[in-house]
Amino acid sequence: MHNVSMALEFTFSCPLRHGLHARPASQMANLASGFLSNCALTNLRSGSTANLKSVLSIIAADIRFNDECNVHVSGADETMARSVLQRFAVHELPRCDAPLQDLLRGQPSRNVPRPLRSAGVEICAGTPVSRGIAEGAVVMFGGLAIPAELSSESPADQGTEQQRVGRALAAVRERIHGMLERRTSATEIGVLQAHLAILGDISLASSIMERITQGRSAGQAIVEASQFFGETLRRSDNLYIRERALDIQEICFELLEEIYGAKRPSRVQLNGPSVLVADNLPPQQLLSLDRTLLKGLVLKTAGITSHTVILARSLGIPTLVGVQEPTSVLEAGEHVIIDADRGFLIRRSRLAVRKFYQLQSRASRRREVTLASYANKPAVTTDGHAIEVAANIASADELSATFGNGADGIGLFRTEMLFLDRETAPSEQEQFEVYAEIVRAAQEKPVIIRTLDVGGDKQVGYLNLPAESNPFLGYRGVRVYPDHLKLVRTQLRAIVRASAGGRVQMMIPMVSSLEEVRWMKKELALVRDELTREGIAYDPAMPLGAMIEVPSVAFILDQLSSELDFFSIGTNDLNQYFLAVDRGNPSVAALSDVRRPSFLRFLKHIVDEVHRAGKWVGMCGEMAGELRYLPLLLGLGLDEISAAGPDIPLIKERISRLSAVECRKLLARALECREVSEVDALLNSCEPTGSRHTLFDRELVLLRSESESKEEAIREVVDAFYVEGRTDDPDRLEQDIWAREELYSTGLGHGFAIPHAKTSAVNASSVGVLKLKKPVEWGSLDGLPVEIVILLAARESDPGGAQMQVFSRLARKLMDETFRSRLLQASDPGGLISFFAEELEVTV
Amino acid sequence: MKIVAVTACPTGIAHTYMAAARLEKTAKDMGHEIKVETQGALGIENPLSESDIAEAHAAIFAVDINVEGRERFKDLKVIEVPLRDAIKNTRAIFDKLGN
Repeated sequence: MHNVSMALEFTFSCPLRHGLHARPASQMANLASGFLSNCALTNLRSGSTANLKSVLSIIAADIRFNDECNVHVSGADETMARSVLQRFAVHELPRCDAPLQDLLRGQPSRNVPRPLRSAGVEICAGTPVSRGIAEGAVVMFGGLAIPAELSSESPADQGTEQQRVGRALAAVRERIHGMLERRTSATEIGVLQAHLAILGDISLASSIMERITQGRSAGQAIVEASQFFGETLRRSDNLYIRERALDIQEICFELLEEIYGAKRPSRVQLNGPSVLVADNLPPQQLLSLDRTLLKGLVLKTAGITSHTVILARSLGIPTLVGVQEPTSVLEAGEHVIIDADRGFLIRRSRLAVRKFYQLQSRASRRREVTLASYANKPAVTTDGHAIEVAANIASADELSATFGNGADGIGLFRTEMLFLDRETAPSEQEQFEVYAEIVRAAQEKPVIIRTLDVGGDKQVGYLNLPAESNPFLGYRGVRVYPDHLKLVRTQLRAIVRASAGGRVQMMIPMVSSLEEVRWMKKELALVRDELTREGIAYDPAMPLGAMIEVPSVAFILDQLSSELDFFSIGTNDLNQYFLAVDRGNPSVAALSDVRRPSFLRFLKHIVDEVHRAGKWVGMCGEMAGELRYLPLLLGLGLDEISAAGPDIPLIKERISRLSAVECRKLLARALECREVSEVDALLNSCEPTGSRHTLFDRELVLLRSESESKEEAIREVVDAFYVEGRTDDPDRLEQDIWAREELYSTGLGHGFAIPHAKTSAVNASSVGVLKLKKPVEWGSLDGLPVEIVILLAARESDPGGAQMQVFSRLARKLMDETFRSRLLQASDPGGLISFFAEELEVTV
Repeated sequence: MKIVAVTACPTGIAHTYMAAARLEKTAKDMGHEIKVETQGALGIENPLSESDIAEAHAAIFAVDINVEGRERFKDLKVIEVPLRDAIKNTRAIFDKLGN
C-alpha cells in the first residue's frame, strides 16, 4: 500500500579465525556508509549490537570466529544494501583473514652471554618486538593525564558544548592531516590514517554528543566515551582489537587537549640519547619524539600489533615489551642498555658489558662484510658447479634490496600487486613503466615476469570472479584469461614492450595442459604483430615459460618443452596439489611437507624431464629460500633458485661451501628415505661440503688477541666463527662451550686451553685458535694462566668421524712439548695452518 | 710391567685422547708396556682384547664417565682416576701400580 520499508535481514557466520578485525570492519563500514538505509548488526552469541556504518561499533561487537551474526537493513535502498552487504559477508569476508604481522624470526633466546653474566649486571627480561641493541638514559612517560578540573566542571548549554567538540574534532583532524603531509613512510601514513578513521567514526562522535545531551560537559563526554570504547575493546579476545583501545584513548586525549588549552605537560622532551620507559606509549606520542635521541623503548603492555610497536619496528627502534613494572623498577635518568636481539635490559652496566657490545657490533659489521663478499659473486659449489640465485619480488620497491644483495636476476616478479587494492585494472602504460623500471634496474640480468595470477586466495574485485567453494581447484591463474581478453592483452603488450629494454622472460601461472600454453602463444603472437604494425620495439626472442604448480604438467614436460623455453617450480602450490593438502587447514597442514620422500622424488622427476628436453628449470617457491634444503636443491640439479632478496648473500655463502657431487649423493639417499623424519635426520647429519671445506681456516686464527678474561677469549673465538658463517647462533655455541667448561676447566696446563663442544650450533666442524697478548686465568690443571686457546667445535654428527679423528690427533699432539712450543712460536696464521696440516695429516 | 688402560671423557673430543697420549708417553719413559683403549666420540678405538687383559698386570681407568665393558677387568687390579690426574700427575699413577 504505502512505501513502508520492510526491513531486510540476513545471517552470516564469521569465517575469520582472528575474528572480525579492523580491516574487514572498515571495508564493511565503507560499504554500509554508501547506503541511506540503517544497517544494524547483532552478534547472536553475545547479543551485542553494532551500527554497520561505524568501524568502532563493529569492532566493539567483538565478533569472533564462527559467531553467528544477524544483519538488519531498513531504508529506501534496503534491497540493494542487503544484497551488497550479504555478498560481502559471504564471499569477501572469508578472504579477509588478518595476515599475521611479519613477526620476528624465531623466538628470543633470553640467553645471557657469559661475559655479561660474569660481569654481574642486573638484567630485566622482556620480549623483543623490534630488534636491535641500544643504550641511553631512562626517560619516563607517565601516561595521558586527564585535566584535573574536568570532573568538577559544570557544563554550559548543550549547543555550546557540542560546538566545542565539533571544533576539537576538526582541529585534531587538521593537525593529523598536517602530520600526514610531512610523512613518507607507508607505515606512519597508515597509522595516521587509522587515527583519522577513528576520528571520523560516527559512533565516536555520536557517543560523545549523546553524553552531552545527557548533561555532561564536552570534556566529561569525551572521557566517558573514551572509557566506554576502551573498555569494550579491551574485553575482546582479539589482541588486535584490544590494542586499538590505546588509539582511541590517544585521540580522545587530543580532543581534550584542544578543548583545555595548549599546555601539554605529558608531552615528553628528550635531552640526550634516551630510552623511553612507559606502561604504554600512544602512537602519535612516539611520532612526536625526536628520532635522533630516541634510542629504545621499554613498554609494559604493548602488543606486537599495536600501532606503537608497528611504528617502532618501521623506525628501527629497539623495543622490549612485557618488562615487569618498568616504570617503578627503573629510575628516571639511569643508564640502561636494551638488548632487543636477545630479550632483556641491562641496568648498572659496566665496562665489561660495554666492551662486550662493542665487540659484538664489530663482529656483526664484519659478518656483513663477509656476506657482502659473497653477494656479488656467482654462487659456485666447492666442485665448480654454478647455480643462479635470483630474487622473488612483488613490486619495484624491492629492487634495491634485490640487486643490492647480489641477485643474479629476478626469478619471479609477481605482477598481482599491480592489480590488487584498486578500482580498475592498471593501464598498459602504467604496467609498462613498472616492468621497464625493473628491467632497467636488472641491467642485463634476466627478469622473469609472471602474468597475472589471481583467483584462489588472491581476489581482484573488478574482475568479478565468482565465489567458489574450492577456489584453489577452481578459476585462477591462466584459467581465467580467455574470459578476460582485454586484461590479458594489455598485460602482454606491456611485458612485450618492456622486453625491448633488457632480458625479459614471461611466465604463465597455473598451467595444467598444453592447450593453455598454445592459447597463450597465440595471444602473444597477436600482440607482437600488433606492436610490429605500430612500429613499437620489442625483443622477438623473449623466452616464454610456465610455472610448474599443477602435478599434471610433470607428465607432459616433453611436450611442453617443445613449446616453451623454461620452467619454474612453485613449490607451495605444487606441494599442496600433489599431496592433496590445504595448507591453511591446521588438521592436515602437517602432511604438506616438502621433505616428503614422494615429493622429493616428484621434484627429481621434474628436473630430470626438463633437462632431458634440454630446457632450463628454476624454483621460486618457499622451499627455495630454506637454507637447510639447499643440499637437496643442489642435488636436484636446478638451474636456479629464487628467494627473498635479503636472503641471497647467505644462500650464496652456503652454496660456496657445498659440493654438488656430495649433494647429489645426499639427494639419492633422501629419495630412498621412507618418512619425513628420516629425511630430516639426513639433513641434520649431512655436511656435504666436499674436500675444500676444512676444519682450519686462517680467519679463525687470531694471534694478537686483546681479550682480558676467559669469558672474553671464548667469545672472541665464537664471534670469529660467526663472522665466517661457521655458526648462525653464536650465543648457543658459546653456551655449549661453557657447558663443557663447567664440568672442569679445559686449561690443560703449560699455558694451553682446549675448550670444546660437540654441538649442533656449528654449520661445520671447526677449529679456532687464539693467542693472547696477555695470558688469562683459566683454572688450569697447573694453575698457570693461559696463552693459547684452541677451540674445537665438533658438529654433532660427523659421518665417518674423519674430522673427529683430526681432533683426537690434535689432542694427543698437545701433550707433546715440541708441538706446543711450535704453537707458542707461531707468528702468522698461514704458517700455523700449514703446521697443523703437516702435523695432523690434513689438507687445508 | 704390562698395563692396560681405558680413557673416557664427557664429550669424547679432547681429554680422552690427551690422557691416552700421556699414559703412553709416561709408560714408555718408565719402561712399562701399555695398551690404551679410548672410549670417545669416535667410539672405542684400539680395543683391548681378552688376551691383552689376560696378560696385563694391572689396569688404569682414566675416566670421567662410566667405562664400557667394565666386567672385562674383573680379575685384574684396577686403579681408577679422574682424567685430570692422568694428564697432570701421570707418573704418580704408575707409581701406585708398582705397590
